[in-house]
Amino acid sequence: MTETSLRRDLMRSAEIKGIVRSAYAAVDASSETLARKLYSAEQLARVPQNAIERALGVGNHLRHAEIDPGETLLDLGCGGGIDAILAAHRAGPAGRVIALDFLPEMLERTSAAAIEAGLDTIQPLEGDIEAIPLPDDSVDHIISNGVINLAPRKARVLAECARVLRSGGKLTLADLTVAEEELPPEIVTHPATWAG
Amino acid sequence: MAGALTERDFVDKLQRAGFTKIEIVERTPMGVDDCALYPLFTPEVLNLMRTLIPPERQRTIGTAIVVQARLDTSKS
Repeated sequence: MTETSLRRDLMRSAEIKGIVRSAYAAVDASSETLARKLYSAEQLARVPQNAIERALGVGNHLRHAEIDPGETLLDLGCGGGIDAILAAHRAGPAGRVIALDFLPEMLERTSAAAIEAGLDTIQPLEGDIEAIPLPDDSVDHIISNGVINLAPRKARVLAECARVLRSGGKLTLADLTVAEEELPPEIVTHPATWAG
Repeated sequence: MAGALTERDFVDKLQRAGFTKIEIVERTPMGVDDCALYPLFTPEVLNLMRTLIPPERQRTIGTAIVVQARLDTSKS
């Protein structure tokens, strides 16, 4: 990659991050219908209403996640906190969930939801998933829900996951994929589809 | 959605990052009506989808996957 194309790529990357940041910061409407579609009633019974109304994931990865008591988990892009709360319940009082997001607004929501849920094992952390502000080999299990598709540099995100995970660590994530056949250009170039 | 990978590319990037035992344990089609549940999709873009995507594709414009993987134990 030449210096010019690298610079252009980084500018585009910054532009995409700006679009995603603005779109998520502006979310005000409830997504409770989505949460009730993705999660079971038993799961939602353990989550404060505010976190239910801010669910923006694409799946129910925690249904499949093997979470051991005492694990240190990292929720990559925690959003309103629904998955961090569900994971913290399963990791128990000896466990810890690091809730990472690049939006302070989301971290505030997650913290408030954790307090309301009576959980003191959720640690909010502000940062970029392309440069996770954690030491090497510091996490047992990474969870993420609908976030990696938002990152301009996905290989970088996954390399960071590998860096912070301990050897043999677990990754359980839900994300959006697309078919080889592309969507119409008017849609894939629309700013709203970079965040949604 | 504009930044989503194909499943094959996603798995390939996981492998290149050092993950093993990669397993797709769930696949859920995502259509235009599913997108409408997200406040992130504006009415404008939903309208574009309904206008520009052929009706037969509107039920599956993407697939939500659940992936499990392990980091290679040989990590040094």
